[in-house]
Amino acid sequence: MTNTDLYRSRFGRLKALTGVARQRGVWRTYVLLAPAVCLMIATVMFPLISVVVMSTWSVSGYEIVKVSSLANYIEIASEPMYRVLTLRSLSVATLATLMTVLLCYPVAYYLAFHVRRHKSLWLVAMTLPFWTSYLLRIFAWKVILGYEGLLNSALLGLGLVDEPVKALLYSKTAVTFVLAHSWAAFVVMPIYLSLEKIDRSYLETAADLGDGPLRRFWRITLPLSLPGIAAAFFMMFVPTLCDYITPAMVGGPDAMMIGNLIQAMEGPMHNHPGGAALTVVMMLTIGLSGLVFVAVSRLVRR
Amino acid sequence: MEQLPQLRALRERKISRRAIVRALGAAGISLVTMPLTARRSPAAASDHATYFTWGGFDIPEFFTEYVAKRGELPNFSTFGSAEEAFSKLSAGYVPDVVHPCLSDVPLWSGTGMFQPIDTSRLSNWGDVIPELYDVPYNIKDGKHWLVPFDWGQTSIVYRTDLFDLQGEESWDMLWDQRYAGRLGSLASGGEVWWCAAIKAGVPFDQIDTPEAFEKIATVLREQRPLIRTYTDDTTSLDTALATGEIVASLAWNSSAIELKRQGVPVKFAKPREGALTWVCGMMLHAQAANLDSAYDILDSMIGEEASIFNMRDYGYGGPNRKALDAFTDIELAELGLARKPSDILYAGHFALPQPPEWEQKMNQTWEQIKLGF
Repeated sequence: MTNTDLYRSRFGRLKALTGVARQRGVWRTYVLLAPAVCLMIATVMFPLISVVVMSTWSVSGYEIVKVSSLANYIEIASEPMYRVLTLRSLSVATLATLMTVLLCYPVAYYLAFHVRRHKSLWLVAMTLPFWTSYLLRIFAWKVILGYEGLLNSALLGLGLVDEPVKALLYSKTAVTFVLAHSWAAFVVMPIYLSLEKIDRSYLETAADLGDGPLRRFWRITLPLSLPGIAAAFFMMFVPTLCDYITPAMVGGPDAMMIGNLIQAMEGPMHNHPGGAALTVVMMLTIGLSGLVFVAVSRLVRR
Repeated sequence: MEQLPQLRALRERKISRRAIVRALGAAGISLVTMPLTARRSPAAASDHATYFTWGGFDIPEFFTEYVAKRGELPNFSTFGSAEEAFSKLSAGYVPDVVHPCLSDVPLWSGTGMFQPIDTSRLSNWGDVIPELYDVPYNIKDGKHWLVPFDWGQTSIVYRTDLFDLQGEESWDMLWDQRYAGRLGSLASGGEVWWCAAIKAGVPFDQIDTPEAFEKIATVLREQRPLIRTYTDDTTSLDTALATGEIVASLAWNSSAIELKRQGVPVKFAKPREGALTWVCGMMLHAQAANLDSAYDILDSMIGEEASIFNMRDYGYGGPNRKALDAFTDIELAELGLARKPSDILYAGHFALPQPPEWEQKMNQTWEQIKLGF
């Protein structure tokens, strides 16, 4: 089926649906939609709006002053702390995501092109790390990267270092690695799906016309899997940008990210309005980085 | 087997609407009835009060009296610092019993989230050492806000084999440039700020002045590059000390006791400037739903057995006078305790309650310093 056919058939189905709605009364469609819409309003729109409203309030002692102003935003714009932490979060999240995409692409490629039997078993195996809690996985990394951890013991045993490498744990490197591992499955899946969808006849045609494996990959497989890469990038970049547990547990004082500040504001600092304003700013940052990403990927595709 | 024909029907797209409705109905009924059968298990958790406490106090040893009376343990939830607990409570969490410290009482009781305790309902109250609770801000209309449970010191735990001590033990140890990157610290402002005040030479009754703020913030900023990790998770600190990853850390009595028991050469320092001392205990939530059970928790914790366990295994002082008889003077000195709590509490620097504005400003400044600003 070509794309236009697919589009037509989908459109046809949609038309049929609206036809049914007209037949049985439009209200019935709304009734059917109502639970989902109510849920959306209650769990997404309402919290979102309250965050935005709260971000304009302020605090005095432990009391929240419900007078609207842009003071919180002005502070975020003028204090260097927010900028430094945001930039650090952006760089850690970008690096971790790039690393994960690079590491996971071959895995997804192997799954899509070379695994023929027991594919679902392989897919389940990919999600195995997710069967334990996020917190436990980070703790496991502490055991591996720790001062007397697995990695350091191995390095010492091999005589590669004289004393344990301290930079392994409580550093930005540690945060990057742990994030990369934690989100791997979210990256493999979309890339795998886009690779799986590639029509194998394109590759055969290319081979017939004399393209070697590398050129085939470069001219067909990679461009056709770009949507999957983009999806994977976003699936991981967005949640890692404001992650706070990983830096809190394996990042030392110098690897704290913006999520840690938001957590501190909502917790011990008792500055809920300030935390809300920072959250809004981070949502905008994510939106902005999304636009940048789309622009860059367009440029690449050209 | 009903399932198989249905699955086949599904595969052949022959399943009827009635069959789907029946299957969904069955699933719904089983979902609704599941909690009912689960509730029949012996631990009917709702009959017991919930005790919101520091990690480490949620163990059976403190509740032998409670279990003897009620058959099983109360419910627990834990926190890592008083600030964390306070922000969860302000956000609307309602446990029955909470475990803050004496210096938190004015701030906490001022929120209206707590009720004074009727000590006549506590059979062990007569054995509680009065100097642990007899301060003006803990009394409201002859009743007390907080029933004391543990008292002790915040000081430095250091590795005697790895830390080359020059001269006397002092707070300077946690500012020692030679061990940059090998020092640890607790993370909560309620501990660190006060210890830094001792280091900076600020008397506690003058801690609420702009100059004091500036001085304390300066020493904390000085210290930050030397710190490997700030954490309220004492297990992480203990592990790091045991492996030698850090050689000294801000810590409580229990860390030293725990590490010594494991054979790690550590010492709980007696800094020449004096340690930070505190009394903590239980407060009763104003909306406590299980008041009887809550009072039993309080009674069990101020009992003799709980106190002995707390002193012997955690190294914190217990509130029960009788428990002290189980120890010799030498044993008490080794634990960093004394027969008369005030000998320890007032030899060090006892944290004093501060106005909410101070707490707010202190936590704001401290969290920013921790992040590097």
